[in-house]
Amino acid sequence: MALLKARNIVAGYSKELDILNGVSLDVKEGTMVSIIGPNGAGKSTIFRVLFGLLPAREGTVTFDGQDVTNPSPAELLRLGITFVPQGRHVFPLMTVRENLELGAYIRKDRKGIQKDLERVYDLFPLLRERSKQKGGSLSGGEMQTLEMGRAMLLNPRLMFLDEPSLGLSPIMANEVFDKIEEIRSAGSTMLIVEQNADRSLKMSDYAYVLETGCNKYEGPAEEIRNNEEVKRLYLGG
Amino acid sequence: MFIQLVVSGISIGAIYALVAIGFTLLWQASRTVNFAQGDFLTVSAVLMFILVCLGVPFILALLVTVGISAVLLGYVVKRGIIQPLIDRSHTTIIVATIALSFLASNSISTFWSAQCKPFPQIFGMTPYRFGSIILSRQHVWTIVIAIALILAINLFIQRTKPGKAMQAVAQNREAAKILGINISSVTTMVFVMNAVIVVFAAMLIAPVYMVRFDMGAQLGLKAFYSATIGGFNQIRGALLGGFLVGVIETFTSAYISTEYRELVVLVVLIAVILIRKEGLLGTEER
Repeated sequence: MALLKARNIVAGYSKELDILNGVSLDVKEGTMVSIIGPNGAGKSTIFRVLFGLLPAREGTVTFDGQDVTNPSPAELLRLGITFVPQGRHVFPLMTVRENLELGAYIRKDRKGIQKDLERVYDLFPLLRERSKQKGGSLSGGEMQTLEMGRAMLLNPRLMFLDEPSLGLSPIMANEVFDKIEEIRSAGSTMLIVEQNADRSLKMSDYAYVLETGCNKYEGPAEEIRNNEEVKRLYLGG
Repeated sequence: MFIQLVVSGISIGAIYALVAIGFTLLWQASRTVNFAQGDFLTVSAVLMFILVCLGVPFILALLVTVGISAVLLGYVVKRGIIQPLIDRSHTTIIVATIALSFLASNSISTFWSAQCKPFPQIFGMTPYRFGSIILSRQHVWTIVIAIALILAINLFIQRTKPGKAMQAVAQNREAAKILGINISSVTTMVFVMNAVIVVFAAMLIAPVYMVRFDMGAQLGLKAFYSATIGGFNQIRGALLGGFLVGVIETFTSAYISTEYRELVVLVVLIAVILIRKEGLLGTEER
């Protein structure tokens, strides 16, 4: 059974216009699922709906059998879902360590937090080195790493990653992808939207292609990657 | 003379700084510019005055006023007025706070009194003597109390979990939200903090200004200048701005003329925002 199930999601930013016109998707435990599609297909919007930042007008979402349609972020975090949104979202005037600790804001077990902080430091040694530096002094790639580290402080059962490589140099983007693969191989479940669709599909198990807010194709990532039409339209080849 | 002037400038500046920090905290949490800030101060001073006149011991009067202000000027104002408007433009909230300002000062002058009332000299009258230097008790205690409060506020923001949540909301609301921080309750907490800060500022200024329905208007304005000069979005900016305005005012009064003290402050204000629109220590905002 799928860990996360979204059914027929309809949502939009203004009353007149729906960005999502009935999107459905499943994420199975232990898998990485990609969402690809052209600009304006509603890729980022689906995350905003799933994370309770934008209300769904129609449709349902369940997590582990529990209804989580239009949740509060705190509710999802408690269930073990974390979100790394598009764009840079570090706290620039706080240290790297303080940034990471805020990832565990909803937790109260100090010892457990300390343990998970060490685990994140082990995964991203760079963050340990920079722990006393201000978030705002990091490079774009380092900030992305910090945000992923922060999202891992809850030991999430499911992570949403929205355009992790956006605005990064190719070398930095590569490093970020390597880290994602590392997190992935540690058994985390992930749902990812990524402009570099080819790279994202290579890492993923399953993929959804969205177009104007609807499901267009879905299938094992390898199949989608070799689908002639998807190739022609979204993979630039 | 010089040292006395500096102490007197720092003392009035410390009060400006306190009120300006309130401005800054509200801005950081909710992008609110509270034009009723000065009237919050008047309301607190009037409350304290009434309680003292009723024979309530001063410390108790202070605590009761802190309680009432926290609820009325903090919680109720946030939930009743700011909250419903928070998704509108900044201007809407500003106009609402201006309305609140009129409501507060006019209610006091209509229903209580339009007269000046002398506030008790809570710090005593005999000045401190350090050799040839004579310092007023009012000035010394104002500085001590204001600095203690500012340190406490800072410690709270830097070291405690709610304080860190405040910082998070100020620095990146979206990120704060996705980490499960309840922006609305953090904002409410900040309004309550501001209401408490204002009571202490009222306590420090009332013996100097006397209690009147418009006593806060001037002070609110000065604190607004302070926050703007120092940098509206930074606590250390509000702090620097407050002390600067206090010292500049005091020196202008002493060496030029009392009539020019506001003028000089305004010239400094204009000069600062022409050169650096974020204020001396402010940071640019997106």
